[in-house]
Amino acid sequence: MIITNNLTKKYGDFTALDQLELSVKEGDIYCLLGANGAGKTTTINLLLGFIQPTSGSAFINQLKVEENPLETKRFLAYIPENLMLYPSLSAVENLDYFSGIGGKSLNKSQLEGFLEEAGLQSGAFHKRIESFSKGMRQKVGIAIALAKDAKVLLLDEPTSGLDPKASNEFGHLLQKLRGKGVATLMATHDLFRAKEVATHIGIMKDGHLKQQFVASDISLSQLEKTYLETMDYKTLVS
Amino acid sequence: MFRYNFKYESIALLRSKWIQILIVILLLLFGFATYNGQQKTFKRQADIIEANAEIADADRDMLKLLDSVEQGFQVSASSWTIPNAPMAVGNYHPRLASMPPSDLSFLATGQSDMFTHFVKPTASGDDLALNFTEMTSPVQLLFGSFDIAFVVIFLLPLLIIAFSYDVLSSERESGSLRLLAAQPISLYKWLFQKLGLRFFWVAVIMTLSLTLVFLLNQVAIGSNFAAFMGFLAITLAYALFWFALAFAVNLWVGSSGKNAVALLGLWVVFVLLIPAVLNQLGGTLYPMPSRGLMINDMRAIKAEATQRQDEILDNYLRDHPEYAVNDTTQKRSFWHRYMASQQLVKKELEPILIRYERQLEKQQLLLNRFTWVSPAIVVQGSLNQMAGNGNKSYKSYREQVIAFAQEWRNHFLPMLYNNQEFRSENYAQLPKFTFQRPTYQSQSSALFVVLCSALIVLGIGALRFRIYSKKEQSLVNQ
Repeated sequence: MIITNNLTKKYGDFTALDQLELSVKEGDIYCLLGANGAGKTTTINLLLGFIQPTSGSAFINQLKVEENPLETKRFLAYIPENLMLYPSLSAVENLDYFSGIGGKSLNKSQLEGFLEEAGLQSGAFHKRIESFSKGMRQKVGIAIALAKDAKVLLLDEPTSGLDPKASNEFGHLLQKLRGKGVATLMATHDLFRAKEVATHIGIMKDGHLKQQFVASDISLSQLEKTYLETMDYKTLVS
Repeated sequence: MFRYNFKYESIALLRSKWIQILIVILLLLFGFATYNGQQKTFKRQADIIEANAEIADADRDMLKLLDSVEQGFQVSASSWTIPNAPMAVGNYHPRLASMPPSDLSFLATGQSDMFTHFVKPTASGDDLALNFTEMTSPVQLLFGSFDIAFVVIFLLPLLIIAFSYDVLSSERESGSLRLLAAQPISLYKWLFQKLGLRFFWVAVIMTLSLTLVFLLNQVAIGSNFAAFMGFLAITLAYALFWFALAFAVNLWVGSSGKNAVALLGLWVVFVLLIPAVLNQLGGTLYPMPSRGLMINDMRAIKAEATQRQDEILDNYLRDHPEYAVNDTTQKRSFWHRYMASQQLVKKELEPILIRYERQLEKQQLLLNRFTWVSPAIVVQGSLNQMAGNGNKSYKSYREQVIAFAQEWRNHFLPMLYNNQEFRSENYAQLPKFTFQRPTYQSQSSALFVVLCSALIVLGIGALRFRIYSKKEQSLVNQ
């Protein structure tokens, strides 16, 4: 579903991403860990086509992103760190708008069904987004992905700023999407949540993918230790 | 995409307090401008009615006096003013040559702030005394009255700027653009549609407001349909031009702050700077001859003519033997000499006046040649014209008044030189002035210029699409 081949992005002399080789299959949740500036968001921007690669290529559902910028977006959903929807529109209206402009016309019960599936309380369906918490907005974002029937989900720090309950609920939603065969790539700082939801974990540093492993093969403490060692946080490890 | 953009953009606009305030401001401005324009029109109408009433009163008194004279009574009035003398009637009982406001006068004050709408040409007065040579550049009036034209030309662009400066940048700054850009849509089409929808709603509000304005002013839209549609079309084309500018700036500039500054800068350039520069340029390239010197020249010519009045009268009568033949008394008074010299003075003044007029024409020509540079000038000229207060209307009025002044003079000259008395029965034959309003002229060329400007600006916006066609998503990170 998501494949990158030698994906590289340079800004002048600075290399933001260096020869990334990545593969996220159907039903996988791949968590990219790394400090700020490691190249996580650059990877997501390249997969979205927001920026052009210096070399290498990215594929979504076997389509090269660079050559098919609109077509690849039919298969993917994206939830940024701060999901900004239209504040003066309600959750149902936002969902209807984003589905509609993407080419999917849904009726009221379908829209409400997706919001319910995403875990939003029914009392909030017709309330304006301006009164929503970040967690509630993320749920609307998941509903947009569900409504779109996205094959690929790109998440950029989706749990940062969420309280533990909301973060836990979000994790459950990702598992639900995994069950539907969605390939998820999530950039995060949250080691605990990554260990909880991921099938695969990668650690990035300075634009390089330094480590990657199957999540079930590693414990949370091992993950933390490996992460800190990769980041050269020696004093903390000792 | 269009259906959803239309539906939710409309809902979002209706719910936006900022937009609601803008709409209320627009309606208030229209209301106030209509009231203001109406007051000016009423005053103009009232002034003409008052002047007509004064003339009617004076005529009544004159006829009474004339009747007494004709019955052989002694009257207590200066001999100069007794109306049995044709020149007394020609000079002290002139007719009113007025230009009443048109049905649409309230829309654009235009030149009406500068010129009088009624004059009383006298038999002995010269055309210059009618004060028509004061006409300077019409762009000077761009800073004029608070009327509908002012709202359309000056304030509507500011409201459009407030309405559209951040259409793209606010989405980028709030982060929703990233979510939009993750959908399988063209951001250019999306932006074009979004601004198009805002233009649509502005057009709806403008159409309703203008219809209301016409109805409130009791202007029959049916009989003024061409003018109403012309007014609406040129106003909407002008609004389109500003939306096109907003489209280009949103694509080419960047942050909301920069967009706002850029659009306000363009407003200053198109609405203030270019008209002012053209105005100044006209005056600098084709300066008007000194009015003081012209008056001195005129005085010198008149003084010379006064000294040579007897000789001038002889020459005049030689040129007009019909007066000499018909008059057996050969009695010659002040007026005989004065009127004969007036003809000569008029001839000698002609080159001076022509020089004055030519400079004015050159200024006008320069302005006409460059009006396309600023749609604001084109629209102002067009609205003035439609309201009947433009250059063409005043030029026509002036020509009609000068022709009438000549007719008035010519009416009394044979009576004067044939030494005939003015009698009560001659009153009905006095020439009367009726202003023939120039027929409504289609403003299609002005509309064409404004639409072309809008298309050029849209093209400049679209150029970004052409240059960055493979980097459309770069708009997200601009």
